[in-house]
Amino acid sequence: MDALVNKRIAQVIKGDQNAFAEIVELYQHRLYQICYRMLGNKHEAEDIAQEAFMRAYVNIHTFDQNRKFSTWLYRIATNLCIDRIRKKKPDYYLDAEVRGAEGLNMYSSIANDDELPEDELVKMEIQERVQYEISRLPEKYRAAIVLKYIEELPLAEISEILDLPLGTVKTRIHRGREALRKQLSNL
Amino acid sequence: MKTCPDYIVQYMNDYLDGDLEPSEERVLKENLVTCQDCQQIYHELTKTVAFVQSASQIEAPRGFVEATMRKLPKQNQRSGAQR
Repeated sequence: MDALVNKRIAQVIKGDQNAFAEIVELYQHRLYQICYRMLGNKHEAEDIAQEAFMRAYVNIHTFDQNRKFSTWLYRIATNLCIDRIRKKKPDYYLDAEVRGAEGLNMYSSIANDDELPEDELVKMEIQERVQYEISRLPEKYRAAIVLKYIEELPLAEISEILDLPLGTVKTRIHRGREALRKQLSNL
Repeated sequence: MKTCPDYIVQYMNDYLDGDLEPSEERVLKENLVTCQDCQQIYHELTKTVAFVQSASQIEAPRGFVEATMRKLPKQNQRSGAQR
């Protein structure tokens, strides 16, 4: 697939815009899924996935063809998603660490305040519930969990996409998994 | 009440990442046999993973490619195209 993608990229750089359609075709579903799982909203997911492809197109000449195109593309998309999530919340106090709660900040406290009543949770379809629980995770854990368990990417690739050391990715997955475990304790 | 050392939970996480040394794995397994609380945590962690993985794969909406292509800037306005 990479050889084909690089061929299309070369055509795009030469000015053949139509060659980009095939790239969009190849990656549309996975990119859309990442955005949807991160944002939990179909319209926003579509919007951000399109924006990601648009940025990839405009900056295609900066892509190093010795690397994996999907890694580069997913990085553009996850960055856009994280920006979007941050913009949706007032951020003047959210980054402050909560005393006595290592690794937790106001984001996670807010997420917990959002909790639905037990009977509402029971009524939810399983698919809805998965998305609901993912969307309650702080965004930095959310990205790692989505890439690991929904996209099933290797840790090394997740580390490249999120531009984080491998150790940090592992920590985020551990914490994300632990947060989910607590959220799901009534399941 | 949890009386086991914190590294046991760390071991569980490493194990789930396929990242645990065989010697540590033995420690973890011995622990799981003897401690019900840890067993419970481990069970919940594996259930959590299975739960998240049960999310079905979703697809981009119809017409996504065309809609995306329509939004691209026209070629002659694109910087870096001609080199």
